[in-house]
Amino acid sequence: MTTLSTQTKIAESRNAGMPQTIRSILRALPLRPILLYAVMIAFAAFFLFPLVWMGGTSLKTIEEVGQPQLNLLPAVPQWSNYDKLFHEDAFYRAFGNSLFITGLVLLGTVTSIALVAFSFSRLEWKGRNLVFALMMGTLMLPVQATLVPQYVLFYNLGWIRTFNPITIPGYFAGGAALIFLLRQFMLGIPRELDEAAMIDGANPLEVWWHIIMPLSRPALATITVFLFVGQWNSLVQPLIYLQRSELFTMPIYVAQKLNLQASPLPWQDVMAASMVFVLPVLIVFLMTQRYFIQGITLTGSKEG
Amino acid sequence: MEGTSLQPHLETLLWSAATVLFIVVGSYLLGRLASWVGGRLGLSASERKKVFWGFLFAGPWILGFLIFVLGPSVASLYYSFTDYKLGETPVWSGVENYRELLLGEGAHGRRFSQAMYNSFYYAIVGVPLQVGTALLMAVLLNQQLRGIKVFRLIFYLPVILAGGPAVLLAWRYMFAANGGFVNVTLQNLAQNFFLFDWLYRFFIFAVEGFNGFYAGISRGDPIGPLSYTLPALIGALALLSVLRGEWTPSRRGRLMTIAEVVGVTVVVILIGRGLIADPMDPTLLYAGGLLALVGALISASQDRVRSARGWQIGGLVTFAIALVAILIAGSPEHQALYIPAILISAAPLALSLVGQWTRPKFVLGGALAAVLCVIIVARLVPGQLDSGQITTFARPLVLASTIEQPDNLDYLEDTYPAAAPSPLWVYGAVVIVLAGLAIANNRYPRAQRYVIYAAFAVFALLAVGTLVDGVRYFQAFENISAATGEANFHFSLFRDTTRAFPDQNRVPLWLTSELWTKPSLILITMWSSGAGMLIFLAALKGVPQVFYESAEVDGATRWQKFYKITLPMISPALFYNIVIGVIAALQTFEAIYIISTPQTQDNMASAAFFLFTRTFRQLFIGQGAAASWILAVIIVLLTMLQFRYSRWVHYEA
Repeated sequence: MTTLSTQTKIAESRNAGMPQTIRSILRALPLRPILLYAVMIAFAAFFLFPLVWMGGTSLKTIEEVGQPQLNLLPAVPQWSNYDKLFHEDAFYRAFGNSLFITGLVLLGTVTSIALVAFSFSRLEWKGRNLVFALMMGTLMLPVQATLVPQYVLFYNLGWIRTFNPITIPGYFAGGAALIFLLRQFMLGIPRELDEAAMIDGANPLEVWWHIIMPLSRPALATITVFLFVGQWNSLVQPLIYLQRSELFTMPIYVAQKLNLQASPLPWQDVMAASMVFVLPVLIVFLMTQRYFIQGITLTGSKEG
Repeated sequence: MEGTSLQPHLETLLWSAATVLFIVVGSYLLGRLASWVGGRLGLSASERKKVFWGFLFAGPWILGFLIFVLGPSVASLYYSFTDYKLGETPVWSGVENYRELLLGEGAHGRRFSQAMYNSFYYAIVGVPLQVGTALLMAVLLNQQLRGIKVFRLIFYLPVILAGGPAVLLAWRYMFAANGGFVNVTLQNLAQNFFLFDWLYRFFIFAVEGFNGFYAGISRGDPIGPLSYTLPALIGALALLSVLRGEWTPSRRGRLMTIAEVVGVTVVVILIGRGLIADPMDPTLLYAGGLLALVGALISASQDRVRSARGWQIGGLVTFAIALVAILIAGSPEHQALYIPAILISAAPLALSLVGQWTRPKFVLGGALAAVLCVIIVARLVPGQLDSGQITTFARPLVLASTIEQPDNLDYLEDTYPAAAPSPLWVYGAVVIVLAGLAIANNRYPRAQRYVIYAAFAVFALLAVGTLVDGVRYFQAFENISAATGEANFHFSLFRDTTRAFPDQNRVPLWLTSELWTKPSLILITMWSSGAGMLIFLAALKGVPQVFYESAEVDGATRWQKFYKITLPMISPALFYNIVIGVIAALQTFEAIYIISTPQTQDNMASAAFFLFTRTFRQLFIGQGAAASWILAVIIVLLTMLQFRYSRWVHYEA
């Protein structure tokens, strides 16, 4: 409040010579919020623009795409671009593959991470701290360190050109950061709950399923959302392992659309496929952004 | 061909079921094994039961760690020392892969060093811009305004989108040089606003000049005396910051930090060079012996006898293993080279085992450590500072020339770079001065002041002198090529781009010119810097309001509050975001994959992208593994830096 009043005072002294009405209008204007909103809207425009441009382009004709122009939207929306896409076998295959892989990875990873986080947070056992420290140590290790030898491993297993290299590692609780996130959450659940259940004769597996899992729903949701977005967007692993067009996932399919040697490039088709690819992520993000922002803040600032 | 074959999916489901079974059985067996081992170690029945359940639940991760992390890492370490190409049998090639990559030898080594230079560019130019954007966004979002949550959502959205190829493709389309949205907009603005036109052309000029210069640097064009300017500047600026005023703990901490970071870098480079030298540099053996001896001496002086014993035994066992390995597998030349070094380095350690830790023994130990120091320096020096080069090195101090024959191309290109002392010596001098000041910690205030003034004068003169010499060095190249008609290829892009100010019709060739590919990528990373923003936002929310209120009472302005309160309080988040940004710069992949073309690929490639093409496109597993280990070491070092100093920068407001 103090800042606001000083500002109006400054405005007042500057406009001392002005007529009374203008001065009172200026005083009534909340200059600071207006300025802030203007800057934020400019930022928001910068952040949203590529998405909007993508949507607009996906409805243009090839002629419109080829011309240098600033028009955001086409003269006449060409919904046929999407129609064309929805008549492509390759599109359905890629979309189905993406759903299939993402589903399997989510199921396997979330379950196994929940088990491991339970062990690290609710069970007391000799050697736990050591194993936990080891796990946190792997956070330091970049993905690239194991990417190469894992490829050799899967090559020797005969798994190149199958989905296995992408789906199977998920079952082994991949992602130390997510285990950490869930463990932190589970540590916050009152101890009395599982102790009471243990006294009633429940084994840890029952405690895990009946008590901890239902109570961990918010954290589980956070992890699921993270994994979904990561897996749906994932480009590197599919590029390395799937090398066969029947197995392609959406990211490769979308990226491949550009590799046609056409001129002018059919940007409207590429952008239409991109829109369909982005849509699930966009919907999930908008629905669950609360979890997202919590998750980033939790894992990101864990050392801070 | 039928497009709806579900066979791969069914196979995957089958494999998934098998995997689940494997994990269940494996975790159970792991639990049983752990509880059996627990029994052997004398745990009670109830504790064994707990161990069983603990390992059973942690089983998936432990199995995954063994199968997908530990096993492959060991294998990859082995591959990195072979010429393994997928489908062929690996043949041991020693440190050949590392040498090629680190020294930039051969076509692939050059591509790797280009990738490292690119990553460095993203780190020094991109990361500050990215972190700055994130901080600005966070400060905006930290205001009490209606609808702030919607803006937070929008600001964060690009992070989600940038992970996938879709919006990156949109960027690619927008960046098209002719008729792309970005350039058409810029040109329209430039045609309509006179001031913007000049700004726009200046922007083109500055970006192209800078990138042209950087292209020369990353190609390894000689920079002559300029290579000393950076370390001299670091030293001069660090000392300048403590030149006046009181000696405070935070100043001491600052000097120590700079000394540590520079020192660790120099040591890592020296070790790396020693390891990849052919044959491996025996200096490392002496250094290892010195380290163990000093460790033992320090531990013993603090009465930690067990720790001292650990240093002694650990060092001796290591040397024994090295000795046996050399005796069995080494060639006669290697034996002649390494066996004396091992014996000389191990002897002081063995001697230190004799008798109690009495004063004479400490004196003897110190003397032996000093002897090892002398050996190490003597081994480092001959290649660097012989035959009158010390005078060459001293000359810039008095602003005299180090370039003696500026009209001789051979001299400039070959003789001078070979004869000039390594810039590492200047870095070493900076480390010694700064660390010495921090360790002495104002015990002798007068002497300290003299040292600071003198060292500052030396470093400042060195910086200015080498800068002047550097300019002369470049002019000499120009003069020669002008006089003789010989082409001067060094920094040709820089000279081309800075020859004339861009005219009105120039457009940035975003994705096609090597001058613009890196700025394009940086623009995209700025667009998706929302993750850092959330970290900043959390940190900003954590700053107690009391500080601002009391500052307001004292009449602080908005900027003063930001600089004196906010920035110091969120410095851990700032530091975290910078380190994470640098690590991400090394690992950039998706954006490069989508927006690069085969022509611009090498010019944009990050370290991770090089790794990808070398391993998975060309299937050179051996070299890919070596590259991944280099990358891993750099990232682990950066992470340790983060751990080490995230506590140090902590709020001391």
